[in-house]
Amino acid sequence: MKLLMIDDDTGLCELLSEYLTAQGFEIQSVHDGEQGLKLAQANDYALILLDVMLPTLDGFEVLKQLRQTKLTPVIMLTAKGEDFDRIFGLELGADDYIPKPFNHRELLARVKAITRRIEHINSLNLAATSKLLVNGITVNLAAREASIDSSTLTLTGTEYEILTLLCKNAGEVVSKEQISEEVLGRRLASFDRSIDMHVSNIRKKIAEHISGERIKTMRGTGYVFIQGE
Amino acid sequence: MSLSKGNKVSSMSWVKHPGHYLFFKIFIWFWLTIIGTVTALIFLSNITVINAVSNEPLHGPMEKNLIYTAKSIERSVVKHKRSLSNTLSHTRLSKRKLLYLSAEQPEDSLTNKDVPIDVDLSLLNFTKSMSPQIIFTEKYQAFGPIQIKVPEGNFYLYEIDINNQPPLFIRLKLMPSWMKVSIAMIASLILSFLFSRNLIAPINSLKKAAVRLSAGDLGARAAISVNRKDELGVLGRDFNSMANQLELLISSQKRLLADISHELRSPLTRLKMATGLAQMQANDASQSYLLRIEKEANQLDKMIADVLQVSRLEAKSQALSLQKQSLQIIVDHVINDAQFEAKQNNKQLNIVGAVDVNINCDEGLIASALENLLRNAIKYAHNTISITLKHADAVYIEICDDGPGVPNGQLSKLCEPFFRQSDARDRVSGGTGLGLAIAKNAIAAHDGSLVLSNKEQGGLCANITLPLIKE
Repeated sequence: MKLLMIDDDTGLCELLSEYLTAQGFEIQSVHDGEQGLKLAQANDYALILLDVMLPTLDGFEVLKQLRQTKLTPVIMLTAKGEDFDRIFGLELGADDYIPKPFNHRELLARVKAITRRIEHINSLNLAATSKLLVNGITVNLAAREASIDSSTLTLTGTEYEILTLLCKNAGEVVSKEQISEEVLGRRLASFDRSIDMHVSNIRKKIAEHISGERIKTMRGTGYVFIQGE
Repeated sequence: MSLSKGNKVSSMSWVKHPGHYLFFKIFIWFWLTIIGTVTALIFLSNITVINAVSNEPLHGPMEKNLIYTAKSIERSVVKHKRSLSNTLSHTRLSKRKLLYLSAEQPEDSLTNKDVPIDVDLSLLNFTKSMSPQIIFTEKYQAFGPIQIKVPEGNFYLYEIDINNQPPLFIRLKLMPSWMKVSIAMIASLILSFLFSRNLIAPINSLKKAAVRLSAGDLGARAAISVNRKDELGVLGRDFNSMANQLELLISSQKRLLADISHELRSPLTRLKMATGLAQMQANDASQSYLLRIEKEANQLDKMIADVLQVSRLEAKSQALSLQKQSLQIIVDHVINDAQFEAKQNNKQLNIVGAVDVNINCDEGLIASALENLLRNAIKYAHNTISITLKHADAVYIEICDDGPGVPNGQLSKLCEPFFRQSDARDRVSGGTGLGLAIAKNAIAAHDGSLVLSNKEQGGLCANITLPLIKE
């Protein structure tokens, strides 16, 4: 499984590629934003690890441009660790973030959570006709796509996973803890806003095609996908 | 040499710019006060109608002269056997000033010249004292009386000096005394007020700025006009430049702390990564050391995160993600964790009341403030930690321990970053020395306040006040 690492800290890149290689990943690293963006657009990586502070093109800009063409999963490495950066990254379509300095085990867990999902989907591809149709939204499990009136929603991997989870449980409350564990592969930390950010992105994308509320917030518990008549 | 030169320069500037010296300012203001008072008196004396009479004794050459005139009239009457009126109209006397001879019967009174209609000489018939004096009236001054004894009877001689415009001092003299006093009072009052304000305003502004500065508002400056060139103006500007310097120093010190912490993160990330790699290949013997390295790296990481949070909060650069939500949810969350921690330390958490109200807050920040205060209380409590929650016009949260408390003199320093009241014990319990600083700044970011105090029966109390949402 091939990963791309975009980080200007060459020492960290070396250590990280050694570590991830030992864990069975193939890792390629570049040290500036422009080069990273080119590689990311040209190849199909299983995952991109993207630093925020980069020469030539910063991490947010790389992500923004990449998302115009590709939905490759992205984990942001936020050296600043400030709330603003996390939220901004998630808004731009990052799948997850991990603040520096991170614990190597935590990084591995998150990388695995995302790549495992993709493997899982690929294996499902064979048995591929299953579709969900809830309240005007079609989720094509085989193609990993969601669409409204045959126009496809441009969802990131994480957003797609969350939407699928909500659609499968339409009409029932899905807790944030459940979403975090099933989709991000980690326990929900106190006052973690990332699930809210992903859901808010999904809402925006749905609203571009169809009017009316689809996902309802249950304060303090989680989210409900409204079934409709 | 250079000293005397310097003195010379400053003595020169005295002459050139008297306005730059407070001495001259005070001097000129006092002077102005006096001039103003006098001017007001003059002005008012000119516009007031006076019909009063005043007098003062007559002495010296004027008196002698008058006596001489009286004697010569007496002699002339006796010698030439002329009547008094003829003597008076004689050219030698008629060329002189106006003379008035007052008789015992007013209608027998005589003058040596025609008298202007508006000059009322009969006033002089009412002179009480018969000693020579100057009598001031609005239209004239009379010098006299001097007694003249002639065969026709006894007369009293006055020399009359008619004034078209009565001299100033006479007008002033003739003003009623209440008016004189009140003019002096009002004029000096107004000018003194202006003077004091001019003097005191910059001092007050300096005082306010100094109070704000010492309270930690580094942006406080004295409002002193650039044009003010006297000692107070210079003092104000010196004060402001001192404040600028202070602000620069403190902010650069804080920025340095933040920058260093930020820069430490990259090597720390690599350190953790390398430790991870080493752990993968290490044998059992070295594993425990690697665990120790990892633990220390995590501690370092926590400290850096705390320093960065404090400096962001202090610089107010932290973007608050404010949300309207129930405080109780946050409090419950934090207390749950604290219960667990307290149980591990064999201490008890007593909770009274609730704060089920909505406030506008950044839950992460409020939670970390409460967490830090609770952790502190658990650390120092002997047995119990009591938490009191209530809300009325604002939210009040009180967290008290039954520990040793803190010397009163150190209470205010507790919230300073890295302040430790005793060097030994904190390290052992693993604090970063930043918990209370984070709590205080996080609460301040919500326009609330954190006050630490000692309980009478021992132990430290933290009182948090948070404003409710304004409807």
